[in-house]
Amino acid sequence: MRKKTYAATALLAAALMALSACDSSGGGDKPATVVAEQSSQQAATVLDQPFEKPDLVLTDTHGEKYDLRKETAGRPTLIYFGYTHCPDICPLTMSNIAVAKSKLPKAEQDKLRVVFVTTDPARDTPAELGKWLGMMDRQFIGLTGDFATIQAAARSVGIAIEPTKKDKNGKLVSVHGTQVIAFSPKTDAGYVVYGESTTVEDFTKDLPKIVKGQNP
Amino acid sequence: MRRATTALLTAGALAGTALLSGCGGSASASGDGSGARPDLSVGSAYMPQPVSDSMAAGFLTIVNKGGAADELTSVTSDAAGSVTAHETVGGTMREADRLTVPAHGRLEFRSGGDHLMFDGLKRRPEQGQMVSVVLHFAKSGELRVEMPVKPATYNPSTGH
Repeated sequence: MRKKTYAATALLAAALMALSACDSSGGGDKPATVVAEQSSQQAATVLDQPFEKPDLVLTDTHGEKYDLRKETAGRPTLIYFGYTHCPDICPLTMSNIAVAKSKLPKAEQDKLRVVFVTTDPARDTPAELGKWLGMMDRQFIGLTGDFATIQAAARSVGIAIEPTKKDKNGKLVSVHGTQVIAFSPKTDAGYVVYGESTTVEDFTKDLPKIVKGQNP
Repeated sequence: MRRATTALLTAGALAGTALLSGCGGSASASGDGSGARPDLSVGSAYMPQPVSDSMAAGFLTIVNKGGAADELTSVTSDAAGSVTAHETVGGTMREADRLTVPAHGRLEFRSGGDHLMFDGLKRRPEQGQMVSVVLHFAKSGELRVEMPVKPATYNPSTGH
């Protein structure tokens, strides 16, 4: 109830908002900036030539050694490369997967492995990763470790990432992958790729097939 | 609970499309003559409920119906220590300085492209709440926007 009042107040505030200055002088014509293009790509791309699962041994959110191939053998697996200091795409992608996964029957949820590999291992410690992923789904697996190892693994599945660096204002800037790769429980190969415009509906529709190793 | 949520979403949608009245009667200075000036409004504002308790992204579209361009010089919010405009190119994000809102054009912040980044959140915004944001322009002064907090998975093109 209190929330409702708050929203109503906010609405009123929004309705009353006004532009203060209204200066009629200078009509300087500035060059137009680019308006980003609307890309409407297909959510799932089934690969003709599947990727081999990266041979990756890193540290999980409990600080334990995690051997990706061994731990996910015979399991439907989604892998994404991102970082927790990422405001837009990384939390959106992982939240979309979390919600879609929650719609699966319990047994299938338990089978599915969702692996988030950090691209920013210096800031994403096991504890940081665990906290962030735990906000979305406690079953999510977070991996951190040596950047060069992570970069090589990403490259092996067609994902280009760069080390975290400082921008001109001294802020740390990291790079996330733009794709989620689904690995089949039948072949352990990465056979479907999802682009970053994939919605929660797309994942919800496809996961029941992915967990069975079928084409979406 | 259900009803409250609906009410909140409606309020959010309305607030998101609330328009700036601009320069009142003298608006629609559509000519490109020397009297041309920007005429700004903001729509489609939302913040996905952040996962992090310290940072969040925000999205909105600034429409300029006027015959002159304007520049977004800074963004502030009571909810965060700082708000910066970021451009995302591929998977890389970089901070933008001044962003132009072209005459008879628009400046879009949308997921996967440019976004507003809220750092040093005072508290983690929750779905259904509103976040106040002030946009500062070179010519048009300040523009206040009430940004509704949407689910983390919100997609403006599907509306949910």
